This record gives sequence, structure tokens and C-alpha cells, in this order.
Amino acid sequence: MMAKRKSVQAINLGFVPLTDSAPLIVAKEMGFYEQFGLDVKLQAQNSWSTLRDKLHAGVLDAAQMLAPMPIASSLGLNNPATPVITPMVLSLNGNAITLSNELYEEVLLVNDLSELTLPMASYLLKDVVVQRSQKNKPKLRFASVFPYSCHHYQLIEWLKSADLCLDDIEIIVIPPVNMVDSLHCGDIDGYCVGGPWNAKAVRAGFGVTVLTSYDIWRDSAEKVLGILQSYYEQNTDTVEQLCRALKKACEWLEYTPNRFEAARMLSGYDYLDAPIDVIAPSLIGSCLVKDDLSPRHVPGYNQFYCPYKDINSPSYSNGEWLLKQMVSAGQIAPEIADKFAINSVFRADIYRKIFR
Amino acid sequence: MVSDAKLSILLIDDNEARAEAFKSALQESRYDIVHMSSPTSGLLREVDKLQPDIIVIDIESPSRDILDSLHTISNFAPKPVVMFSDEEDTEIINQSVRSGVSAYIVGDTEPKRVRSILDAAVARFTEFQRLRNELNETKQALESRKIIDQAKRLLMQQRDLSEQQAYSAMRKMAMDAGQKLEEIAATLISILNNLDIGERK
Repeated sequence: MMAKRKSVQAINLGFVPLTDSAPLIVAKEMGFYEQFGLDVKLQAQNSWSTLRDKLHAGVLDAAQMLAPMPIASSLGLNNPATPVITPMVLSLNGNAITLSNELYEEVLLVNDLSELTLPMASYLLKDVVVQRSQKNKPKLRFASVFPYSCHHYQLIEWLKSADLCLDDIEIIVIPPVNMVDSLHCGDIDGYCVGGPWNAKAVRAGFGVTVLTSYDIWRDSAEKVLGILQSYYEQNTDTVEQLCRALKKACEWLEYTPNRFEAARMLSGYDYLDAPIDVIAPSLIGSCLVKDDLSPRHVPGYNQFYCPYKDINSPSYSNGEWLLKQMVSAGQIAPEIADKFAINSVFRADIYRKIFR
Repeated sequence: MVSDAKLSILLIDDNEARAEAFKSALQESRYDIVHMSSPTSGLLREVDKLQPDIIVIDIESPSRDILDSLHTISNFAPKPVVMFSDEEDTEIINQSVRSGVSAYIVGDTEPKRVRSILDAAVARFTEFQRLRNELNETKQALESRKIIDQAKRLLMQQRDLSEQQAYSAMRKMAMDAGQKLEEIAATLISILNNLDIGERK
């Protein structure tokens, strides 16, 4: 199977440096791409918008995308409609909500608590919101990383469980690299972001990570492999080999001792350029909480593979679930979602063909 | 639009030398530049405060996602965004981005070229906004016609009127009540549907 093609296929693979970029980086560092006859150039991107535009333009052949992004591309939300498909899910979970120290103290004070039970229930924010409005203090402001991201929907869902909506709390977009600073200087009161940016805030003593995305949506698709439909049609073999190499990396990451090795690879200058002590924790199932508190055990914090359940298949239900979130967030009309054929984007058929 | 009206630009670039070149390229033009380097979190606030007519940003800046979200966050007015890049791929990306809200500038800061691209971006954005408003109005008009038609059908069925009679009756009611035809239609639908349920009981 591996020696099927003689010529080496060059691929420009885009990603935004985050802890859950692990499969893409592991495949490079462990030589999996080469084993499958591919010459992959990993291209770090600074923003999801630019990653998207470069994929649409064909400057990138493939990219690690936020799971809702291929849907947004295909529907033409905030960009010219461009058919983007995903043949494979790369990771589950991986995000967390971190509050500023000030908001954390305010939550304790308002609710007359000496400590929080974790994962934190959002109703504890309710009285904070009410008191702030009575005292004419500014609304709470949270940040997510992109409008079409699980982070955004998870934040909305968490707030909604306490009947809080976007009239009560503002949600803005801030790139991950600026999250910790924004929290520290008081521009935002909390955020939902992926690793290593939660651990970074805790290590720096700027914030408290009160729950993870695993606590909100147990095991939902977080990052996917995105490619233009036209690229797939013209380079079917190459895409199949790429999926095989990435799946091999996901499997490799399932073994806990390998997770620390992955953290070492990710910390390199070409990738996350960050210390291991902010990358390794989530990879080994540890959620750092606060500088003076013990970490919390969240085994599914970063999931890339599962031996008894195929989590890498871009299933119909994965896609439908995301579409539903986009409707609840008011990003698309229900009629459009009803008419949209999600299996034209979430291509479980391609996945099945490769891994049958 | 008066072509010599002053327009304000918010320039976001970490590269001081390039920002300077950009500023000098636009000297004595209709564009006033405010330069921000390394904006971290204060960008939205800055945009809100300055209300620039146009935003110019390096395509490789992480802040692009903040600007992209301006179109989805309802309490901020969308702005035309022009992106520039030193990379040679720019022209290719340029060709694929045809949303009408953005254009790209290649790495050079040749004054004439910079100005003409900015002019084009402003014009394209204005046109885009106009089309979007028109689309919204058309949608609205279609929606009210649907409601009026439904009310008319209900009147015809339940009161045994001709189409012309039903329409005239509704128009008279609207005039007497000093309301829009669409509002009367909505009230009628709710009343007639309730009556229908009541009669069936």
C-alpha cells in the first residue's frame, strides 16, 4: 500500500499552531508523511481567516480547520461560497474556558463562596450579571477565537444553561496569541480557547480555568482536515495518502507515553514555540486550574483516536450537530440549514473508502 | 460621494518601515492615516472610537480574525478592509477573494498604485453595502406579500369573498386604522385562524 506510488507528492499543509495540531506535527516529525509517499510542507498561519483564504485560493492544498469552517466556506458565510470538504476528523475536545482572576474573585464574592466546585456551573455568573447591571457596571465580555468555531458555540451553550444570552454577556473574537494579554489587561473577563493558551494564563498567574469543552460537549469534533472539493477530485490518491499518514499519527498519539514526546515536538520553534510545561498538561489529561490549586484530571481533554470507536470519521451526525449550533448562534437561517446537504461537506464516504 | 472628501484609514502593521512608506505614499491625498502597530486586544475599541472609513492590515497579522468577525458581530458596523502582503502568492489570493468587501495590495507602496487600490476598495465596499441593503429590502417586500396573500386567501375562504373584494376590504381596514396593509394582514390571519379553531370546536 505504501509503495503504491513512485513519485513523491508535494503538499502545502496549513495549520494554526495549537496543542491539537499534534497529529500534523507528529506525522512530520515521525516521518509518517514520507512513509506514505508525501512531501508535506507544514505552513503555520497566524489567523483562521487567512488560512481559509489561502485554502480557497489554492495557496494551501490542505489545512487543519475548525470543524465548522468547511461548512461556512461551502455556504459562503463571510466569504465567497467555495466547496470545501472534510474527509477526516483530526481531534475531539481540547478547548477550555478561563476566567480572569478578578472575575473569579467576583464570582466567589457574589455567590458567597470560599471555593468553586469544578467544572464551574454557569448559573454562578447569573448574579454577577445582575449585580453589574444594577450597579451600572460594564457588561461581562468574553472572547472566542472565530465566529465559526466550536469555542464560540460552546461559550454560548455554557451561558445558555444559566439562561444567559448575548444581551447579558458580550462575546468578541480575539486571536489565540492575544488572549492571555487581553485577559491580563482587563479587556476581557474570560475566554474560550484551545491549548496551550489556557495553561499559559494559569502558569502566568493571570487566570483560572473553570471548565473544559469536554465538560460542555462530551466528545465532539473540534479540528478537521479541510480541502477544496476540486483538489480532492484532481488529487484523490494524494488526499487518501494524507489521511492515512494523519490517521497513523492520531493512533500513535493514543499511547500516553507518546503524548509527552508529542509535547516536546510541539514546543519547537517551528511549531508552537512554547515551553513544554504549558503544552504537556492537556495532552496527558491534566487541566491546570489556578496557580495555587491542584490540576484537575480530564482524561479526554485532547482526543485524537479511540481504539473501540471510530472518532476520526466525519460522520453525518457530526456535521448535523455543527449545523444546528450555527443555527442557534443565529449565523444561518433554519431554512438554509434544512436544505443543506451536510454529507456533501462531511464526507464519511471518502473516509470509509480509505479505511474500510 | 464627493471624491475629494477626506477618508480616514486605520493602518495595522508591525513593520514600522513599511508603515512609514505607506504614509508617505498617501501624503497630500484624501486619506488620513492612523497607524497602530501590534494591536493586541484594544483593536475593536479602537475601530469603534475612530470609526475609520477603511482598515488596512497585513494579511499575516493575527488581528485579521478580529476584523473578519466585524461582519458577524452585529453591534459593530462593517468596514472595508484592505490587506497587503509581501508574499508572492498575494496575487493568487487576490483573484479568489471576490466578496466585494476586501481587496489585497501587493508589497509595493508606489503612491499611485496604493491610492488607486484604496479608491477601488472604497467604491467596491459602497456598492456591496448598497446591494446588500437592496437584497434585504427585496426580502422584506417578499415577506409582506406572502402575509398579505395568506390573509386574502383566508378572507376568501371564510367570508366567501372574491379576490378583489377581499383585497379592497383589507385596504379599507388599513386606511381606517391608519396601519400598513401588512400589519392588518397579520392581525387578520391571527383572528381568522382563531375563529376557525373556535368554530370547529
